[in-house]
Amino acid sequence: MISFELSPQQKQIKELVHWFAKHEIRPIAMEADRLGKVPDEWLNKVNKMGIHLNTSSFSGGGRTAKTGEKNGKKSEKEANRMAVIATEELAWGCPAITLSLPGAGLGGPPIQSSGTPEQKERFLSIFTKDEPRWGAYALTEPEAGSDVSGIRTTARKVDGGYVLNGQKIFITNGARASWTVVFATIDPNMGRAGHRAFVVEKGTPGFSCTRLVHKMGLRANETAELLFENCFVPQENLLGGEELYSTSGNKPSGFQVAMKTFDSTRPIVAAMAIGIARAAYEYTVDLVRKEYPKQGRLYYEAAELLAEAEQDIDAARLLTWEAAWKADIGQPNAMEAAICKAVAGKMALDVCSKCLELLGPIGLDGHLVEKLYRDVKVFDIFEGTQQIQRLVTARRLYAPYGVHV
Amino acid sequence: MISFHPTDEEQAFYDLARNFAVEHIRPAARECEANRSVSASIIKMVGELGFSTLELPESWGGLELPLISQVQILQALSYGDLGIVQGLSGPGDTASFIRLQPDHPLLQSYKSSGRNGCWPSVAFIDATDRNATWASELDIRANGSGYIVKGTSQPVRLATSAEYVLIAAVDSKGECVVLWLENKHWEVLKGDFRLGLLAAGLGRLHFPDVHVGAEQVIARGKEASELIANVQQRLRVLEAAKEVGLMEASLNYAIEYTAGRQAFGQEIAKFQGVSFTIAEMAFEFKAAKHLVWQAAIKVDEQASDAEGHALRALSRAHRSLRHVTDCAVQMLGGHGYVQEYPVEKWMRDAQAQVALYGRERDLLVRRGEQIMNRQKERVAQ
Repeated sequence: MISFELSPQQKQIKELVHWFAKHEIRPIAMEADRLGKVPDEWLNKVNKMGIHLNTSSFSGGGRTAKTGEKNGKKSEKEANRMAVIATEELAWGCPAITLSLPGAGLGGPPIQSSGTPEQKERFLSIFTKDEPRWGAYALTEPEAGSDVSGIRTTARKVDGGYVLNGQKIFITNGARASWTVVFATIDPNMGRAGHRAFVVEKGTPGFSCTRLVHKMGLRANETAELLFENCFVPQENLLGGEELYSTSGNKPSGFQVAMKTFDSTRPIVAAMAIGIARAAYEYTVDLVRKEYPKQGRLYYEAAELLAEAEQDIDAARLLTWEAAWKADIGQPNAMEAAICKAVAGKMALDVCSKCLELLGPIGLDGHLVEKLYRDVKVFDIFEGTQQIQRLVTARRLYAPYGVHV
Repeated sequence: MISFHPTDEEQAFYDLARNFAVEHIRPAARECEANRSVSASIIKMVGELGFSTLELPESWGGLELPLISQVQILQALSYGDLGIVQGLSGPGDTASFIRLQPDHPLLQSYKSSGRNGCWPSVAFIDATDRNATWASELDIRANGSGYIVKGTSQPVRLATSAEYVLIAAVDSKGECVVLWLENKHWEVLKGDFRLGLLAAGLGRLHFPDVHVGAEQVIARGKEASELIANVQQRLRVLEAAKEVGLMEASLNYAIEYTAGRQAFGQEIAKFQGVSFTIAEMAFEFKAAKHLVWQAAIKVDEQASDAEGHALRALSRAHRSLRHVTDCAVQMLGGHGYVQEYPVEKWMRDAQAQVALYGRERDLLVRRGEQIMNRQKERVAQ
């Protein structure tokens, strides 16, 4: 049955996460942006509360909730829907702080989906309350952004493991992460089939962070450049083990690990963009109600802009829920993931822009919306630009006609 | 629980409607447009399949389906041709009044007339927007316990074949009223319609100086106001659903065409200017569809925010429809502009549909006013 009603458990999580975002995240959002970091004591505090950024839900291993009316009825997995609902609330508080929350982050999905049981245990069990820890995901290179197949970081097979050489850029939490999922090629001539994913642990000789970049927005969140110089990675850190790559025949499975991750993380990123747009919208609605005239030109301009913003936010949310729902019921969701990411990323920037327009010049001076505007632009870029999402969508639309675009 | 799965029954209805649309409606589209009416054979088949009574109550022999089921079926039918769907004889938009007032004594003669399953056409005139009086010369003046209807309506569908007319209006005193006219005391002004929905029986109805007795009043005052508001909610959702069907038709046609058409030595789909446009058409189609589904559920539930959902669903459907049908013509290039291909008709039909069913910007402003005047407004559920 078609329904957009949250389950009782989803409602509960949404309310809980919103409370946290409102009372713990939002109050420090502007200060964290000014500092260019999330205060360590705050991270320690929330880690002790057991609050982590968990984007692993899309791996298929998420928790389940009973939805059957009768005992014994098969339960329906809802972890993916839960993840997008919760992430929207966190990003509503502040996206930069959300991305800085301890946890496996974007590194979680590839380990969940492709890691061996031993790797899952070793890498995903470290996120405990004793101290904050992070995971990271390193795919992008200076010469390989949207074209993931063009990565040049090499992995040379040696006795007992691989030696990595190369550079990665734009890596969220890359300097502080306890481990990073790194994509490299065993032979550039093999194209996608040569790709392998490794888990490189912090402190590994030859692995270093060379720079933290300064950005337009998301300033409180660490974005690192990583360097691999003759960095030896033991065999047991090859994600999925040799078996994963040998059993896939001619299929480019290392590349597939990366792509599968996108199918998983794009709805999460879309949900964050929606949370940002909603934050800007609600902030502006409050201001307009208090400050705007109750009739006349400005009143009708505001009515139109706010109605359009509300409509666009909800449309993007439903697209995101659809992608999450498809993942929950075990259907391929690559196209839906691409669509929701494309729509939400662009929509969120547009909504923030509309809100700044409604705030006028005062919006430049210490108002949350200008920060959100700076923050949100990258949601139209990372995890695949809107252009890449169009490409992914079009490929699937044309697939029935045998045309590869 | 969030789900995008239709029920088995809805899926069966949808499949039936979609097959009928592809096999019977679409092939007849050009002929019906040229004849400016829907052929009797199509009307008969639609009646036999039950698609003409989706909104009518069971006590009237209708299917009385919830809106969430209706929107899926209407989407499937309109996938064939919106002009034909809008030209199907029967209660038309008035079905929603009947749905909400099935036992009203005034409507019983119409109920009797449709006993054989062949429903006469009813034209619906919405003259409730007092700010748009320039667009209509229709004057509803209180006259004792009745009214005098004088002047000419805006263009409405099913005008040319209407045997009954339902008028929802604000009278000269500013009071809402719903009138039922069945004595054909009107003249059909066929006008000069060329844009689109030409099989929909578009026309303006002229009322010379018609005295309407109290016995022809379905509702007045607060009762009429509430009835009209509830009907408008339903109509906005149902019309938006039809627009979603036309969007889907345009999208799929454009995909198939661009996958086969060659230029510069390859399928034009391989040019990103083309494939990206197709992707954007898909974005708009899906976004509009979801908002329509959400609004349908809200109206079915009689939720307090149903009106806002209906307003924005139609507003978004208008916006997306204009975009998608225009893109379809663009994707076919010169072929899109000529009548050998359906997309030029679909673009014309789309613009006519948008003109008939509420201005996009006006719908937005109405929703915006709700947002601005409410104490607490949150996008989240």
